Amino acid sequence: MSKTIKENYPAGDFAIWIIIYVELVTFGLLFLGYAFSRRSNIEMFNNSQLLLNQTSGFINTLILITSSYFVVRAVQAISEMRQNNIKESNHKASKWLLYAIICGISFLVIKFSEFYYIFGEGITLSTNKFFMFYLLLTVFHFMHVILGTIILFNIYKKTRNIGYTPNDYRGFETGGVYWHMVDLLWIVLFPLVYIIR
Amino acid sequence: MKKTVTTLWIILVILTIFAYLLGYLKLINSSLVAILLISTFIKGGLVIDYFMGLKSVKLKYRLIPIIWLGTVLSLIAVAYYL
Repeated sequence: MSKTIKENYPAGDFAIWIIIYVELVTFGLLFLGYAFSRRSNIEMFNNSQLLLNQTSGFINTLILITSSYFVVRAVQAISEMRQNNIKESNHKASKWLLYAIICGISFLVIKFSEFYYIFGEGITLSTNKFFMFYLLLTVFHFMHVILGTIILFNIYKKTRNIGYTPNDYRGFETGGVYWHMVDLLWIVLFPLVYIIR
Repeated sequence: MKKTVTTLWIILVILTIFAYLLGYLKLINSSLVAILLISTFIKGGLVIDYFMGLKSVKLKYRLIPIIWLGTVLSLIAVAYYL
């Protein structure tokens, strides 16, 4: 019987985990604010939800899940690096990161077009409670995707310069787990705001 | 490991398509909301365990996001059903 030995610490800098836990609590409170506010006016929430484009929400979910997959593959490529294949590993990781960045940008473009439509309809934070929560949650998340994409781009640039070595790729992992958190938040946001009625 | 990650990605895609179809085909009702929330818990759990890599570290680090996910989804269910 072999027992898997557990690592002492998760991947990435310890500070990023503090940030992730704080972000989870913040978004968690907004999710619950939405869910419990809905109870007081279910009809208004259901009618307002009809203005959202479920298909673009669905496509964006697929995009984020896929981008997370690419980031995992990039982290795998870099963590399998040895002294004799530093260049190859960095190039391999950069390829996966580029795919993830393209996904991040695609998400932003689709979400921006959704915002453009919503704001074009004259909807603001003050329109009603549904749109207040919708805009708070999705704009806040949108900003996280922007930051995540910038982080991935910086890691990508470093991999292109063969900047990671077998002894130094913690920054790479840190960016990766941040991106997975962005994905995790959307995984809860999508059914809550777009589907449940 | 690569095969595992690809399999997980396929599972995540399938569960996402399931959620979308419930909404798109207007099949969503009170019993399916529970199934949708359970499938969301599974998706989030897979991301936490395998994408974030917390399955292979000490339990305390894994428990924080798992408890967060379970609590948030349970309270969403409470808000929906009560």
